[in-house]
Amino acid sequence: MIEKGKISASQMGKMLYLAILPTAILTTPAITFKFAKQDLWISPIWAFCGLIVIFVSLRLHRMYPGLSIVQACERIIGRFPGKIIGFIFPLFYLYFNGIIVREYSEFVVGAFLIRTPLIVVSGSIVLVCAIAVRGGVEIVGRFSEFILPAFITLFLLIVVPIIPDLQVTNMLPIMPEGIRPSIEGAIVLQTWFSEFLTASFLLPFVADQKKSQKSVYISLLAVILTLIVSNLVTLLLLGELTGNYTYPFLIVARYINLADFFTHLESLFMAIWVLGAFVKICVFFYVTVLGAAQWMNLSDYRPIVFPLGLLLILFSMWVAPNFQELTHAIATSVTLAIITLFVIIPALLHCLAWVKKRLRAES
Amino acid sequence: MDWAAVLGIAAVLVIMVLYEWPQLKPQMKREKTAFAVLTAVGGALALLLVFYPEMPGPTQGLDALYKPLVKWMDHFTEKRSG
Repeated sequence: MIEKGKISASQMGKMLYLAILPTAILTTPAITFKFAKQDLWISPIWAFCGLIVIFVSLRLHRMYPGLSIVQACERIIGRFPGKIIGFIFPLFYLYFNGIIVREYSEFVVGAFLIRTPLIVVSGSIVLVCAIAVRGGVEIVGRFSEFILPAFITLFLLIVVPIIPDLQVTNMLPIMPEGIRPSIEGAIVLQTWFSEFLTASFLLPFVADQKKSQKSVYISLLAVILTLIVSNLVTLLLLGELTGNYTYPFLIVARYINLADFFTHLESLFMAIWVLGAFVKICVFFYVTVLGAAQWMNLSDYRPIVFPLGLLLILFSMWVAPNFQELTHAIATSVTLAIITLFVIIPALLHCLAWVKKRLRAES
Repeated sequence: MDWAAVLGIAAVLVIMVLYEWPQLKPQMKREKTAFAVLTAVGGALALLLVFYPEMPGPTQGLDALYKPLVKWMDHFTEKRSG
């Protein structure tokens, strides 16, 4: 085993929750609104990809206990083809993490540190994450356990004071054109739900395996619920304007004004964002490093953390020349790529593994 | 400005090697190779990005790969937001 640490099932659930939610709260309302309009808040319910991916990773882990999808893939389709597909997973995780680092630094620079160069923001978060990842899965797990209460408290501190200003009429009429617009709006969200494939890399290190299944499903449910709440609040406050902003939820946080005393609460949102993005980048970085080490059959993953960190910073600059193109790519080609790679390929692998098992049982 | 960036990259690479290399035990051949290759790839990519910042990136690759579907999605988005 490359990794000697163990995490509890609840820690894994918390890691997954924090590894998926932060960027989803930030960018999805604007993209989903284009399709779903006032049904924005229904879209997160259609988490088909999340269900498929969780089912597949749990089943694959039951068939090949202790192996991540990179290792299981070699067992299922043979050494050489397995190596090729196994190479794509860490590479794509690296690329996708590059997008996340870019989103993080664009947001920090665009909304708060206006005169700081991007590379300073992205370089510092990657360095911090690299140090955490070198500590191993236990450290990342404990970080998420530690950060989750703060994340939820800050989230509620933004949502609760805004309740008196919400206008329920903004969500009416509910589903005037049937459920189709809300499903179309959910297509982009599938990117985030597909990220539950990360569970496949974390499952082997869970100490109490019996609880892991429950914990992953609770995590999915929590992600859906939080997205419904954040989308609903954004919609009820901003109404038709939701589509005009890049970060609608930030506008919601700016709007808070309690007795002219509590203002500029977007700093709370900044805190949420930094904490959440830290865990998100850590988990994705950890999966990249672990996948790459498993692919190369290394005895230890620690030596490749810093080189991959350097590559991560470079990818964050390389993914797109500017933020508009990045947002467009996230809504189109990245969504398609992630659905192919994180949903369709694992599902096919699972079918193959199942057929193989059946054939073996017959002969 | 470019050369300042090159110096910065060189400094990062040197710090990484000086920090990591002594921790690798002599029998860890695979790890040493992996570290060396990844660091070299990182350095090369960094230099390329400094001198050719307009170099097509992985996102353009994905765009090309999914071109028909991306076009259809764009068309669809325009129609919906119309």
